[in-house]
Amino acid sequence: MTPAARFTQIALAAIPPVMLTLAIPFVNREEPRILGFPFLLAWMVFWVAVTPLFLLAANRYGRST
Amino acid sequence: MSSQTIALTIVGAVILGTILFALTSVRRLKMDPQEYIVGGRSFGALLLWILLAGEIYTSFTFLGAAGWAYDKGAAAFYILAYGTLAYCIGFFLLPPIWRIGKERGLLTLADLFIDRYDSKVLGILVAALQFFLVVPYVTLQLSGMQILLGIAGYGGYNGTVAVSIAFVVMALFVFTAGLRGTAWASVIKDVLVLGAVLFAGIALPAHFFGSPLGMIDRLLQTHPHWTILPPPGHANASYTIPWFITTILLTGIGFFMGPANAPAIYSARSAETLRRNMIFMPLYQLVLLFVFFAGFTALMVHPGLKGHASDQSFMLVVQRFYSAPVLGIVAAAGCLAALLPASTLLLGAASVFSKNVLGDGFNIATGDRERTWATRVLVLIIAALALVIWLRYTASLVDLLLFYYVGITQLAPGVIFGLVWRRVGPWAVGAGLLAGEIIGYSLTHWAAVHMVVTVWNVNPGFLALVVNVALCVLIALAFPAKKKPAGVPAG
Repeated sequence: MTPAARFTQIALAAIPPVMLTLAIPFVNREEPRILGFPFLLAWMVFWVAVTPLFLLAANRYGRST
Repeated sequence: MSSQTIALTIVGAVILGTILFALTSVRRLKMDPQEYIVGGRSFGALLLWILLAGEIYTSFTFLGAAGWAYDKGAAAFYILAYGTLAYCIGFFLLPPIWRIGKERGLLTLADLFIDRYDSKVLGILVAALQFFLVVPYVTLQLSGMQILLGIAGYGGYNGTVAVSIAFVVMALFVFTAGLRGTAWASVIKDVLVLGAVLFAGIALPAHFFGSPLGMIDRLLQTHPHWTILPPPGHANASYTIPWFITTILLTGIGFFMGPANAPAIYSARSAETLRRNMIFMPLYQLVLLFVFFAGFTALMVHPGLKGHASDQSFMLVVQRFYSAPVLGIVAAAGCLAALLPASTLLLGAASVFSKNVLGDGFNIATGDRERTWATRVLVLIIAALALVIWLRYTASLVDLLLFYYVGITQLAPGVIFGLVWRRVGPWAVGAGLLAGEIIGYSLTHWAAVHMVVTVWNVNPGFLALVVNVALCVLIALAFPAKKKPAGVPAG
């Protein structure tokens, strides 16, 4: 695997963890409610739920290069 | 029959049934260390999923997460995030660890250190740390069981006696069944726990507030700001955003450093099996949402519990508003959630100690049969230590878990640098590790004495990890390791 491909793979897998840690100061709020959920909880549930998509993409990328 | 008899009979029957199920699934296998510790390196995706996922649903998830949602609000959300962070790291970390393990015949994490750094002393240090750090983790599971048995006995029952009996049963279970038996027993556990969690997170709020969303509406009216991290000056002001972020990082990075993790990784049939598990495991974390719902519901229905008493919150609601059979089934699920993860941990910690400290360090119990027996004796020793800690101290379940992570995460730099950076040698890793442990537990102790949870607003274990990494990098830059590492993967 080329260094550039490896970097892309790591970047893809790093997006959900960044959204669940470093982004927290910007999303620490109750409003707006998303489908009835307070915003912070909705944000965290969303990023946990889509993490498999990012890891699948990283996996595909790792194999095609 | 009284309610107490009904509930406790159900708990006993479920535990006994699970043990019998585990025993029938391992009966015909020969018990050498390869089979006993790493399941013969033959677990396919499904059994591995069950084993890895089984470590998520512990009594910590079951009671501790609800307890924190009840007592501290949004701070509990860290539990949703740290596993996800761990799987994103594990996606890269686990396949090379598995590959090296297979090539070099490794069984434990300490083996990996010995192989990569060519230092037995470092291996012994890693093994001893894992062994002793497991004690608070096993105490956590014991504590959880004591709560469940106490509530299932409707208070008229000695929890200490019950938990001691349960623990003996578990120790016996560990050394007859090994890893494979525990993995199969986890199937029963996960089905029951999933059912209990969905009941607690959907049926409980629906019972009192019409629906889970109705419960959230009520929560936001009666407890404003409960679902956001507190500003300074709030009642839970210690659990601020910097604490939240550093705790997720500390626990996420340390997630795979426990003594049960390396054997679980090595039990996989292939690297691809592991990678696929890491990809989909975050979905399992979403179940925690329902645990939070149960904690929030309990907060409004049964208010007034403080500190570690809040671990009992939703079980007390079940006891007060539901029939004895329902309570019995939920408590039984919770007991399995304590017993099975504790069993993998006991097995992992005892294996690592017997192999890397007794065997490599002192040349004791080096044959296959002696080692299997040493492992069994050590299981009993940790179990006894955990029981002593449980009898002497009271701490909330989350506090016990965080105490464990302060120490265990310090192993991560040695593993990660070992895989990616050739310049790192045993002195760099050893110095960083020791500094991390000493600083981590000194700061934790200082914080406990001063009745705070953070140092400079961040998790003390994370500060220790920063020092650990910095020291390791500095020494590696100043004194690069000369030998070419044996197991660096091709990518």
